[in-house]
Amino acid sequence: MVKLIAGLIAGAAITMALAWNMASGLMFKEVQSPFGLEETVARIQQNIQNTGNGWALAGLRNPAKAVQQDGGNVLPVLMIEACSTKYSKPVLKEDTVRFLSILMPCKISVYKKNDGKVYIGTMNAGLMGRMFGPLVGEVMGQVAEDQKKFLIFDASKPAPKMIEGMPGAASGGGAAGGGGGC
Amino acid sequence: MSLRQFISAGLLGLLASLALASNAPTPAPAAKAATSSTADHSKFKALQQSFASGPEVTKACLTCHTEAAKQVHKTKHWTWEFMNPDTKQRLGKKNVINNFCTAVPSNYEFCTACHVGYGWKDQNYDFTSENNVDCLACHDTTGTYRKLPGLAGHPTYKDVEFPPKSGKIVKAPDLRAVAQGVGKSSRDTCGSCHFYGGGGDAVKHGDLDSSLKNPGKYLDVHMAKDGLNFTCGECHKTSGHDVPGSRYAVTTVEKEGGHMRGKKDANPATCQACHGGKPHQGEKADRLNAHTAKLACQTCHIPEFARAQPTKMMWDWSTAGKLDKDGKPFKIKDSVGHDAYDSKKGDFRYESNVIPDYVWFNGKVDYTLRETKLDPSKVIEINHFNGSPDDGKSKIWPIKRFVGKQPYDVGSNQLLVFHTYGKDDSALWSNFNWDKAIEFGMKEIGAEYSGKYAFVSTEMSWPITHMVAPKADALACAQCHTGPGRLDKVPGIYMPGRHGNALLDTLGWSFAGLAFLGVVAHGAGRIYTSRKGAEK
Repeated sequence: MVKLIAGLIAGAAITMALAWNMASGLMFKEVQSPFGLEETVARIQQNIQNTGNGWALAGLRNPAKAVQQDGGNVLPVLMIEACSTKYSKPVLKEDTVRFLSILMPCKISVYKKNDGKVYIGTMNAGLMGRMFGPLVGEVMGQVAEDQKKFLIFDASKPAPKMIEGMPGAASGGGAAGGGGGC
Repeated sequence: MSLRQFISAGLLGLLASLALASNAPTPAPAAKAATSSTADHSKFKALQQSFASGPEVTKACLTCHTEAAKQVHKTKHWTWEFMNPDTKQRLGKKNVINNFCTAVPSNYEFCTACHVGYGWKDQNYDFTSENNVDCLACHDTTGTYRKLPGLAGHPTYKDVEFPPKSGKIVKAPDLRAVAQGVGKSSRDTCGSCHFYGGGGDAVKHGDLDSSLKNPGKYLDVHMAKDGLNFTCGECHKTSGHDVPGSRYAVTTVEKEGGHMRGKKDANPATCQACHGGKPHQGEKADRLNAHTAKLACQTCHIPEFARAQPTKMMWDWSTAGKLDKDGKPFKIKDSVGHDAYDSKKGDFRYESNVIPDYVWFNGKVDYTLRETKLDPSKVIEINHFNGSPDDGKSKIWPIKRFVGKQPYDVGSNQLLVFHTYGKDDSALWSNFNWDKAIEFGMKEIGAEYSGKYAFVSTEMSWPITHMVAPKADALACAQCHTGPGRLDKVPGIYMPGRHGNALLDTLGWSFAGLAFLGVVAHGAGRIYTSRKGAEK
């Protein structure tokens, strides 16, 4: 009996350790972009606008700019913010999950790393949604499906213009304000 | 509000409206700033006259500065020529073919907007003329003196629309006011050419662009106004009009380590000239100073270039000449509004915050010149930075590697000179006809041309040495000492923390494996003997 309990505890501990170790990889995804930084942003922005389902751009943040203004350097990071009332409304209506407004608007981060390549960072909305019950799970599942479309690029099409001048665009880490579908 | 205040506000508003309505891109003459100069040029009689041309101004300057033109005549800024003492190659803008606008011959009127002289429009230019030296290009302080491409080094003497059909008017400078306001060279005067090399702002160097006119501290600790507020001349300490610091013969390693500035046989434009050979202080000083034996300062302290605006990284001439359905040249912009395609020039690619390439560099540069035979199946190095980990003369340097495609003679396997700008029928930018443009260019330099051309891939290296970041933003240990790291492609180095020794690794893993087997065998033996004991 002692051996059985010890085995259970050991199994649970190993599972927890594995989950702890893999959590960040499961919650967030990183893929390399075939384009330069600004072109990647511009193509994602265009995809968001073409996806439908109420998606609209909510902002473009440049946290690296704030560091520059403070006299320092970091490799460029541009954060695209997008929102859809179709998906935000049911979550915002339900008191038990309203705290998830902290995840709004949806963010896609485009950044350069020390290897000189450009990467796209996204949240695994589908998996995260399943942790908060059926309502959020269903909504976030649909968000995840749309997110995949944001990252499908057609290199044969010319690079669109990057859309700046939205709330948060020039303010570095400042507030994004309202609008953009949320 | 009093009547006086009301009138003042109204006048200010009117002036502001007029200023906004003006199309002139050039700033109004600046108010005279306080200066430590012992001479007020506006009081000089020779300058109290109307000038119809640049050479007339120079003639007046030379009445006092009798040796100035002779000094300028000896410099690369005047000759556009450099004889490399090591390689014996005749270099300089006049001779080199690069992979940006490619070559000066046959395009003199256009290119010589950046010559410190007047009137260089063909091969017969008089390099001995003192009056042809342009004093104002470097000594203007008004900000109104501007030399436009196509005028053979002259400023415009009448108001013109530039660029053509842009609606922007460049005003003719008041040469008398400019002459009376001369002073030391500045970021604006140096930058008017060096920030715009290769055909536009930030195009060529990657570490020199108009953002250095007023950079933030993040961009350049030396030039930031809230930093050291250096002008270009602070490092490029000029003597007898000779400006030190050359990309044709780069000082990569100080002969005697660090030295103080002012030494006549040493380049004052190196980092060591001010910072010495052991620049680091504090806790990790020994470790960091040990790095200076093999790393250029720039390698760690300029972690990326083009940090304020994108620089051009690729130029493909082979696609130039496409016209739209109406037979007109066109442009395509990239996502941030830079040209991605121009019928006149082909395809481009810009990039910002570029991670440099790193190479061993001993200061010796070999060029692919027009006479050089090339293998078109390979990427041609327009310039090759020599160096190795073993020669004792090299350090690891950051570079911008600029790639492109440009025409070569299929018959002779040599690079071609072609005619880009001109009011004639042969200029590529007028008629988009490569055959005519190449024929004209080659005839201009008196070289043979087989009549058949194709495009070859080329790359050109540029040493990165400006845009020094704050010390807190220098490369951290892990950026090289973990993989993948910044110096992955640099040959001949053992990198602690990243590189392994195969024999040592095999031995280590063997011992670890044997130890594991020992533990397993020992445990199994224990279990076996304890069971045996229990059975008994």
